[in-house]
Amino acid sequence: MDTKQKLKKILVEDLNLEELTPEQIDDDAPLFGEGLGLDSLDAVELVVLVQKHFGIEIKDMEEGRTAFQSVSALAAYIDGRLAA
Amino acid sequence: MFYALIRLGGRRGAYALLLFVVAYYTLFRPSVRARSSHYLKRRFPGRGAPARLWDSYRLSLGIGRILVDRAVLGILGPERLKVSLAGREELEALLAEGRGLVLVPAHVGCWQLAMSSLSALDARVSLLIHREEGDLDRHFFEHGGGSAPYHMIDPAGYLGGTLEMLQVLKHGEVVCIMGDRVMGSGTVSVDFLGQPVQLPFSPYKLASATGAPVAVIFPYQTGEGGYALQVARVIRVPEHLGRSSEAYRPYAAQFVEALERFVAEHPYQFFNFFDMWAPVVPAEPSRKG
Repeated sequence: MDTKQKLKKILVEDLNLEELTPEQIDDDAPLFGEGLGLDSLDAVELVVLVQKHFGIEIKDMEEGRTAFQSVSALAAYIDGRLAA
Repeated sequence: MFYALIRLGGRRGAYALLLFVVAYYTLFRPSVRARSSHYLKRRFPGRGAPARLWDSYRLSLGIGRILVDRAVLGILGPERLKVSLAGREELEALLAEGRGLVLVPAHVGCWQLAMSSLSALDARVSLLIHREEGDLDRHFFEHGGGSAPYHMIDPAGYLGGTLEMLQVLKHGEVVCIMGDRVMGSGTVSVDFLGQPVQLPFSPYKLASATGAPVAVIFPYQTGEGGYALQVARVIRVPEHLGRSSEAYRPYAAQFVEALERFVAEHPYQFFNFFDMWAPVVPAEPSRKG
């Protein structure tokens, strides 16, 4: 399973997006607001989940800001950190 | 006029003028009485009209003295006020745990003076604060043209400032979030003075996400020109409580217990004039539990 697929599964299962399936999540849809409908406090949860599942601690919030644009952006960020 | 009086005659002159100004506003401005009534009718239920008027006067006088003292601090300097940080050792011990520290004050006493006293801690302090047009007063440091002794995080910023607050905690620093005012998303309903209010659960969620301890702090006026900062309660939130707001209700309730004890001891130092008990308009259904 690639990082995007794994992320979608985490979003649905760990953030309880019950009316969505991983397949229904658009790679480039915004995570917050109109896209997946996550709110600002969900960002806290997302930071925790990324650390739990990928072992990556997002300490620089400017990086987080870029990464949290979409599933694609977050997957690219994670892959980049894992490869470093 | 108050600022000029402070410059010319110090605090006492401004305090004296305040007695008459507050009496005028309490008697002839119904809006002033209305703003204080949300809290007073629940703190002192069953009071008659004369007693309620007196309560309103005392509460308004209290906030008036705070504003004068805040201006004194900015105009005449910190040596004109005595601010004691009781519980400093306790706060330092919490910080020494290395997971950051979430401070949760309320609109009681003079929280801005309390923030200045926190500069004694060996860590940067960040405050989640929303400045609005028509704010009641200026921050104390603005009177003297100085810069803020604390870093400000804007809740209207990216993702409500949550990522910035998380970063602060991950760096082992202090973040300060008002426990009695909702800024942004995320509330739980808890009874305060016998009726439900909506309170933010973000302090407890951040604590759960990072393992940081939560300290409920209340700054209060101890006498003329004297203030103390009390560490009212330390709240330990278990890690990884998840996304559901209900998981954080017990910790918001612990904050309220501490606040109720405070207003029992200092009934005229509660300065949240927002109607916390106003009925909540039902929100659109969300995915959250």
